[in-house]
Amino acid sequence: MQLYDPTVTGPDRQSRRAPPLASLEGLTVGYLENGKLNATNMLRETAEVFVARHGCQIGPVYSKFNASAPAPEATLRLAADEVDFLITGLGD
Amino acid sequence: MPRDSARIHDVPDDLLAAMDYCYEQGWTDGLPVVPPVTDRVEAMMMYEGRPPETVIALHPATGLECTIHAAAVNAVMAGCLPEYFPVIVAAFEAMHEPDFNFHGSTASTGGSAPLLIVSGGVADEIGMNSDVNLFGPGNRANATIGRATRLILRNVFQMIPGISDKSTQGNPNKYSFCIAERARDNPWPLLVETLDYPEGVSSVTAYAGGGFFNVENHGGATPEAVLSSFADTMAGLGVLTLGQSVIVLSPEHMRILGNAGWTRENAQDYLFENARRSRADMETAGKFRERDYARQRDPAVKSSLLHDGYMHRGISPADILIIMGGGDAGGHSSFIPSWSRARSSLMQSKPIGVCIDCD
Repeated sequence: MQLYDPTVTGPDRQSRRAPPLASLEGLTVGYLENGKLNATNMLRETAEVFVARHGCQIGPVYSKFNASAPAPEATLRLAADEVDFLITGLGD
Repeated sequence: MPRDSARIHDVPDDLLAAMDYCYEQGWTDGLPVVPPVTDRVEAMMMYEGRPPETVIALHPATGLECTIHAAAVNAVMAGCLPEYFPVIVAAFEAMHEPDFNFHGSTASTGGSAPLLIVSGGVADEIGMNSDVNLFGPGNRANATIGRATRLILRNVFQMIPGISDKSTQGNPNKYSFCIAERARDNPWPLLVETLDYPEGVSSVTAYAGGGFFNVENHGGATPEAVLSSFADTMAGLGVLTLGQSVIVLSPEHMRILGNAGWTRENAQDYLFENARRSRADMETAGKFRERDYARQRDPAVKSSLLHDGYMHRGISPADILIIMGGGDAGGHSSFIPSWSRARSSLMQSKPIGVCIDCD
């Protein structure tokens, strides 16, 4: 008996991490909240840790209205222009 | 022939052993599957005119693609007959639409299951049930089309319970959730007749359902009395969101609306206006969000049926899909809330077996 395999394999994707920052001192940190109930609170408190420990400045807050979908490309491009690094998280 | 779906496993000519083999490979939803023998898969694909390697849905998170061939393999495993296959293909073409967001709805802790609603002549042609015991069990087409959907999500898109499907409590509808809209004695236009498809075309609508409520009312004799039970259910603090709704009216409830001359739009308006909760109630439950309240009142979408100081379910009356289904007897209808506390998935419809405005 011959059975077809019901699964598929994905494409070979090339992905890489962004180069690490040499230092966090004095940089501008932004955060991307996903619309969940506690996301903004959690991310603001996290950003404040960077302020306290590394003298960072808190930049703009970016939002998306669909927590389970990727952030719009325009949002990410804007963030790339306006902040040195971006933090995000779920917030439930 | 697609590279991956053409992979073949040689197993002994023993049906029970082959079923066990499918378990061992991790290919099942927990229930036994029909081993996907090659000739049954070929027969399934005879009901689709496009080449087997045609991609009908893409999973953006992984890049995994569902081809017609891969869908056919899983449809055989679910127990489908070949004539069901065009419904499955159209369902995944609907779920492929970005606004359906099938990755999010399948992966979420919310435990969503895709409800498929088949509307039009195809339902009768392939023996679907739109009548008594609508949501099952008992009908092969309804049960196996819904099950094929789950198996494709599991096997093709690797939405594995506990790994990439992180539903907190799961949902029995994840095994199968597929119905046909009842045409017999239906006073309203069928769902497919509202979609601007050519006459004679049938449709499938995919909706990321978040659960299932039986709405009972045997005493109400007017549309307002009957629909007040629905509005109250839809306004429950556990389900009141900006999301869409699906209402499946029993024929008994539909008769009350139809005899009073109510249209689908009349019922949608009533439910949107009355499925609401006060701001104070929402705050008490820790569920009021200023941004949701403001979004409901965005001038671009604001409905005249909104009441100040209240959160309503959805954004507008059009967010409430109402169809008829079920047996003649009983004041039992259903409300299926949307998955997610926001509007993370919007229902999508596609024609079955035909290509309209395709590239």
